[in-house]
Amino acid sequence: MIIHVNETYILMNYLIAIVISIIIALGLRLPLLPPKPKRFSFDVCALFPTPIIAIGILAILFALNFYWIWDGIALAIIIAIFSAIFVKYLFNYVFPKPPETQEENLEADK
Amino acid sequence: MNELVGIAIAAIIAWLNFVLIDTYLGLPEVPGVKGADIVGRSIAKRGGNLSGGFFQGNILCSPDASAGTLLAAIGVILIGLEGGLIATLLVYVGNRLCADPGYAGTTGALTTTIIVIAGSFVGLTPEMFVVGMVIAILTIQGIHHQSSSKLLGKIAKAMGRDTKLKE
Repeated sequence: MIIHVNETYILMNYLIAIVISIIIALGLRLPLLPPKPKRFSFDVCALFPTPIIAIGILAILFALNFYWIWDGIALAIIIAIFSAIFVKYLFNYVFPKPPETQEENLEADK
Repeated sequence: MNELVGIAIAAIIAWLNFVLIDTYLGLPEVPGVKGADIVGRSIAKRGGNLSGGFFQGNILCSPDASAGTLLAAIGVILIGLEGGLIATLLVYVGNRLCADPGYAGTTGALTTTIIVIAGSFVGLTPEMFVVGMVIAILTIQGIHHQSSSKLLGKIAKAMGRDTKLKE
């Protein structure tokens, strides 16, 4: 693989994406942690899955050797903002909750 | 490092990684998908432990920490750190598509990416982790369901993740 950007910058870009996506998700009034008991990951929150989506998409672009301006920092910021907005507004449309599992889960919690 | 020693160490690390994460995140408590319920009850009927059975059913039916470990290690072989992170995202999307409510797959893939990258500094290659993970899954799923489910049941009880459902 040809690396155009210093590896320290790449690690820093991931950290930037994680931190900014969590901050923006919190700004969009997502809770920091999932509701207890933590067994139903279709309930989104700021820590899961916002940073996972952000670094995943960023990793795909970096693997394709696409860094754009400022050694990829601009890309990290834009994708962090996008992933927070996606989790807040589009997540339930793209990944609808499974109705059966939800009922079973509620029964198990009781 | 000698290849066989490396594979043995990687297998132990992978086994501990996925069994502890899966148990902590509640795989033995509730079958996350319908298939896991059927597998768990079938293993319990044949003389196994119900918690361990649910654990094995959950592993079998949807991407959990064991699948996450394997996919992340393969991702790291192919394209380095990026590969592990892409595998994590794909495991997460896979969980959504399986309607699996758990957190284990994504968490397992993330921790494995970190472990495999850290291991490469002390001479453990990602290839060793792939072989080690296959051996680790074999000990759980491939040799003797009853005894492995009892072991998993004991671990679940020790970590306070025993199932409350009845056989």
